[in-house]
Amino acid sequence: MMEPAMLDTTIAAPSPLVSIEGLRVEFRIDGSTVVGVEDVSFAIRPGETVCVVGESGSGKSVTSLSLMRLVEFGGGSITGGSLRFTRASGEVIDVTRASPDEMRSIRGNEIGMIFQEPMTSLNPVFTIERQLTDGLQVHKGLSGDAARAKALELLQSVRIPEPERRLKQYPHELSGGMRQRVVIAMAMACEPRLLIADEPTTALDVTIQAEILGLIDRLKRENNMAVLFITHDMAVVAQMADRVVVMYRGRIVEEGPVNEIFENPREDYTRALLAAVPKLGAMAGKTAPEPMPIMGATAAPIAETTTEAARTPKVLLEVKNLTTRFPVKGGPLRLTVANVHAVEDVSFSVNVGETLALVGESGCGKSTTGRSILRLIEAHSGSVTLDGWDVRALRTADLRRARRDMQMVFQDPFASLNPYRRLRDQVSEPLINFAIASGSALDDMVADLFDRVELPRAFMRRFPHELSGGQRQRVAIARALATNPKLIVADEAVSALDVSVRAQILNLMMQLQRDLGLSFLFISHDMAVVERVSHHIGVMYLGRIVELGTRADVFENPRHPYTRTLLAAVPIADPRQRRLHDDRSFRAIPSPVFPVGYTPTPSTYDEVSPGHFVLQEQN
Amino acid sequence: MSYFLNRTLSILLTLLLISMITFAVTNILPGDVAMMIMGTQSNPEALAGLRQSLGLNDPIYIQYAHWIGGMLTGNWGNSLIFKVPIATLLLQKATASAIIVVMSMTIALALAVPLGVWSAVHRDKWQDTVSSSAALFGVSLPDFFWGIMLILLFARTLGWFPSSGFSDPGEDFSQSIYHAFLPALALGLGLMAHLTRMTRSTMVGILGQEFIRVSRAKGLSERTVVWRYALSNAIGPVATIAGLQIGYLFGSIIVVETLFSYTGMGWLTYQALLNRDVPLIQASVFVIAAVVMLTNFLVDLFYLLVDPRVRLG
Repeated sequence: MMEPAMLDTTIAAPSPLVSIEGLRVEFRIDGSTVVGVEDVSFAIRPGETVCVVGESGSGKSVTSLSLMRLVEFGGGSITGGSLRFTRASGEVIDVTRASPDEMRSIRGNEIGMIFQEPMTSLNPVFTIERQLTDGLQVHKGLSGDAARAKALELLQSVRIPEPERRLKQYPHELSGGMRQRVVIAMAMACEPRLLIADEPTTALDVTIQAEILGLIDRLKRENNMAVLFITHDMAVVAQMADRVVVMYRGRIVEEGPVNEIFENPREDYTRALLAAVPKLGAMAGKTAPEPMPIMGATAAPIAETTTEAARTPKVLLEVKNLTTRFPVKGGPLRLTVANVHAVEDVSFSVNVGETLALVGESGCGKSTTGRSILRLIEAHSGSVTLDGWDVRALRTADLRRARRDMQMVFQDPFASLNPYRRLRDQVSEPLINFAIASGSALDDMVADLFDRVELPRAFMRRFPHELSGGQRQRVAIARALATNPKLIVADEAVSALDVSVRAQILNLMMQLQRDLGLSFLFISHDMAVVERVSHHIGVMYLGRIVELGTRADVFENPRHPYTRTLLAAVPIADPRQRRLHDDRSFRAIPSPVFPVGYTPTPSTYDEVSPGHFVLQEQN
Repeated sequence: MSYFLNRTLSILLTLLLISMITFAVTNILPGDVAMMIMGTQSNPEALAGLRQSLGLNDPIYIQYAHWIGGMLTGNWGNSLIFKVPIATLLLQKATASAIIVVMSMTIALALAVPLGVWSAVHRDKWQDTVSSSAALFGVSLPDFFWGIMLILLFARTLGWFPSSGFSDPGEDFSQSIYHAFLPALALGLGLMAHLTRMTRSTMVGILGQEFIRVSRAKGLSERTVVWRYALSNAIGPVATIAGLQIGYLFGSIIVVETLFSYTGMGWLTYQALLNRDVPLIQASVFVIAAVVMLTNFLVDLFYLLVDPRVRLG
């Protein structure tokens, strides 16, 4: 991409479209001043994609919002530096000094912006047409008909199927991927010279992410538009960026061309960030999971973790023909009119001391499977056997006892801890609940659990709000470990965490597995993470497992078309392996809602090699 | 369409239940309807005869069947104290009350919505503190306090409006508005305070949403963003809250109409209760319940109109 010859052209490069110098943004919070970003300087040239990458709190969004002067609506103020922007007329203005009217004529006109959440980015009570045309009417003075024609053209350019119909629809009638396309069309409406994309694919499934990234890249090339792309995901950076700005705690750590950042990072933080990103395919040829390398920490070798278990695999959890349905109620008497077939004839087993991952996109039934196994949701049919116990047949008292053996770690560590209770009390609760310990023995056990998850014992007296996200997730794991369970269901347990913290938590989980012989049912949408931590993998689609096998089977020899699609969509954290393309595939996931009495066909599999199962084509 | 059917069905069921409860409760009240009609000095035999002819000796479910049958066929009987057909009486008084209810709601919404929006836009600034404190002040004080204050200011001191009385809108509409103004304002002030708080909190939630930021990023003016884009989303929830307040208003008019000697539903119900006019009590409670439910139904239909998400569900 960035040939050596191009370095010469950068010297004589066109004058930058945007040049940020010494930017400082402050927030007033409860009477005190918090610095959002400080001493931030970089430039964006026409037709170039600059990725600003960093973890939460790094100030990457604050920077982009400052450029639009939208940061003021969030309680911030620009207190230093300059933001020079070259307007279409050739005039260079300092955005920090622009009048509100001047800003309005730039926003949406010369700078377009797209945000993270497609589900909430559109006004729910206005039609798509109104939201696409309002900017055109304000900035370009287009009449109703001309604006509608342009809106239609925009929807075609972002390749939405049936664009005429979409104009009349409301946002809730569109899927997440389509809404993000509408948001992009909105940002592109006035043909801006700069597009700011603030985590535009973070909330999307991986196949839709690939489509949206391809779309942004194509629009950029076709319109010779500059893109400021904000993300936390190094793999996305590798796919999108011409140049990269790495931010940490409100400051720029490093800046450079994308290949240089990935291949020759100068700063420790950049190196740590890159090391913490699991790379798809990095585990090829390995039999067991391996911890992530973490800068600063001694890379404790966990190799040979499961050799013994691997030689004599002993089944801990056996799930057979599990089916879970949710009734859809309707009519005046609230009768069941249809069923959502969330989990359909799913079978797999988890060995002692091993990890089985269920991967798939949102709505595929992976979480419901986990919850049905723990009986947080009652399954419709099938059997679940944990260590010889028929879990589905257990009565209330026995079920309570069985829950000692199976615990859960949830996705959101902010919501899964009670904000009003001290951490010690939350971790000791299962111990008291199951009368495992009391008095000083209880205190000792809780202290041990904090040691296990590598949290200082001083944290025992703290409340959840005093901890970071990663620390909270450690508490959640400590709580799950308290009853000394055999199986832990980790439902997207690392999805809400920053990359470096995620790597630490993943390593912790792998270490606990080695030390305690734990089994994990690891539910995730992230293929690269799954590749890192799992012994076995089940790929789920529409409530069924479409492919099941060892990590090597699924990742190195994927047989089911859906597995292949999924793997092809994962962005690779290597700028030399770019595979962006804007194909309008729109494999809309079919509805899992069926009328009462509908009998689906059973899942039948081909065993392509011992232990590697692929779902047979159904009609 | 099934939505209409469901709602209508549930409204009818609720009304049936309310009619049963009202009928049962008024029957266990102490006092004797026959004695109310003939007076305490009347002849015991005549009294017994009247009881017999009124059906008061029948089992309660038969009495209920007679009563509900009458209600459904428009034969609502005569008021014991006013000696006139209840249906005519109620229609007249309900119209009088409708004037002040509609007026007070209009006053309340006209003031509360802009104030609430203004407050939400300037959240946690002095404007918000001022309007929130004023709203809290308004909510904390009962309606009759506002009534007395308004009488003192506008009737006694300034003499702009009459302190009491009612004028038939059929004869002189402007006169009837003139008479209804102070009671409507007294009701509206408490209501406004409540609605201001609701509008503010709804708007604060909406202004924090991503699509507002997107609208600003499109370069729309702040006025468009707040008063069109955000407020369109707030109208539904605010209207729902306002609709629920109709029930509260019917409670409040009893006090306020009595205070202003405004002869509407509230005043009538109060008279009926004081004099144990059982048929009138039963009919008024029934009418009030029906009106409250119908208003809420209309509000829900309005919600369907302003929010496309509900339309499909």
